[in-house]
Amino acid sequence: MIGGSSAAKGSIDADRRSFGRWALAPSLIVLLLVAGLPTLYLLATSLTPYQFVNPGSSTDFSAPLRNYRLLPGDPRFVNSLWVQAKLSFWGVLFQVLLGMLLALLLNVNSRFVEFARTFFLIPMVLPPIVVAVIWKLIYTPDISPLYYAASLLNFTMPSLTSSVDFALTAIIIADTWEWLPFTFLMVLAALQTIPDEYSEAALVDGANALQIFFYVTLPFITPILVISGMFRLIDSVKAFPLIFLLTGGGPGSVTEVTNYYAYLLAFDFNEIGYSSAVTVVLLLLVLAVSLGVIWMGRRREAMV
Amino acid sequence: MNGQSSRRPGPGRLLAIGAMLVVLLSPFLWLLQMSFKTNDLILQFPPPLFFAPTLEHYRALLSSAFSASFLNSLLSASFSTAFALLLGVPAAYALSKWKGGSRHALGFAILATRMAPPIAFTIPFFLFYRWIGLLDTVTGLVLVYTSFNLPLVIWMMQPFFETLPPSLEEAALVDGARTRTVFLLIVLPMVAPGIAATAILCFLYAWNDFFFALILTRTNARTAPVAVVNFMNYEGWEWGKIAAGGSLVMAPVLVFSLAVRRYLVSGLTAGAVKG
Repeated sequence: MIGGSSAAKGSIDADRRSFGRWALAPSLIVLLLVAGLPTLYLLATSLTPYQFVNPGSSTDFSAPLRNYRLLPGDPRFVNSLWVQAKLSFWGVLFQVLLGMLLALLLNVNSRFVEFARTFFLIPMVLPPIVVAVIWKLIYTPDISPLYYAASLLNFTMPSLTSSVDFALTAIIIADTWEWLPFTFLMVLAALQTIPDEYSEAALVDGANALQIFFYVTLPFITPILVISGMFRLIDSVKAFPLIFLLTGGGPGSVTEVTNYYAYLLAFDFNEIGYSSAVTVVLLLLVLAVSLGVIWMGRRREAMV
Repeated sequence: MNGQSSRRPGPGRLLAIGAMLVVLLSPFLWLLQMSFKTNDLILQFPPPLFFAPTLEHYRALLSSAFSASFLNSLLSASFSTAFALLLGVPAAYALSKWKGGSRHALGFAILATRMAPPIAFTIPFFLFYRWIGLLDTVTGLVLVYTSFNLPLVIWMMQPFFETLPPSLEEAALVDGARTRTVFLLIVLPMVAPGIAATAILCFLYAWNDFFFALILTRTNARTAPVAVVNFMNYEGWEWGKIAAGGSLVMAPVLVFSLAVRRYLVSGLTAGAVKG
């Protein structure tokens, strides 16, 4: 009797293992082919001086580190890192701060507010290129309600996207508008897990709203503020459609982030090898931040 | 989700929420109203509060090459979603039965594909497609989008499988059913809502893509987002058409994403935080 049931269990396990192999294998193979191989290909290309006009150069590994040696002395590359840093810093700061304020404002119990929350998510779900089109309309003087409003106030607005001083700010504003809902959604979810007793106890002890925020709410949502900020930091590298449509990296290279510079190098200047090297550096930077996010995510799971 | 804030909002707060909503949505609404205006009306300031809406831009788009681009978007997004589900759902089920380190390793691999800047994949894909002749084909787009949606499917489906009571599957297995049969006939129907949500998210990611389509297509396989941008580059500044094109591209997104808004965050944070 006992022997029979353990044999049945053994055959179930074997069946299950074989199913597991058949279920996993296709996905693993496809992932390897479409994500693993391209990464290796990118690495290999970054070691060559490959240009489209010179097909033989795609397998020229005679000076493998030449591209990487050129990078520190390339002012456009160094500038692109700096532009990305500015865009990421201000974008993430505004998104986390405003997202948090919006979440605090909407953290109430009401049918109407619950209904309204959905509409606050619209900017985030729009196709990024549509977001870029929307801000193109806002930033084009002839057809923009913003410029019209400024003219009513007798104020002549400079052309934002073609001005050296304002172009990056214009991108940051559009990026913040697009991604504010993301931080809002994450913070709101965290706020809703705070037990009411905490703030009620603080109220009984005579704390005012500001004190409750700093001593009860803020410590509770700090981890989620950091995590959502890190996610935005990683994704701020992808602000391609906005830059492509609004400024084209200009004026000059004021809004030319590293991602955009790599795009221009590869598909405008045909410098495939050098562009790959720029991309590899960018990839390593993103990877470093991603590892940080994972580490913090795990720590948070362990804490809860 | 214990302890929702028990406070009822006062009229001041409701007013503030309403004002914020108007401010935040006004750029979006500006695009929408523009798509229903004639070109003369678009340039008219102060803008009239009421005007007779026109469908001329939408009609012009439907009879132009834009409808072909729209179809390309639809095809590449649908097929890549189907392939990603076909491969990813069984894999997610197998993984949900696993414990230990290999799952974390896979979690990281999934995160890496999700976090990597698209340019990192575009250069190799472009070179490869140029070589085997997949540039400017819908097939090429389907392949790229499948590769991005597959990790998403594997990640998003696991929690759905984990919440199933194991006793159900075990009972069927002890009765002599094969794992395959249990998966197809018992497990899959129970996670149907999860599959639907995942499918919508996959569709949206492929539909929203601009970068890959910009580089990997020219004219034949051009998708709707790229076509909208082309109105700016080659056909002069046709604001009405641009606004109508943008509205058409965002229409399916708005409808679908509101349906899956509960899963938006777990899709966006795939790999690092448990949805």
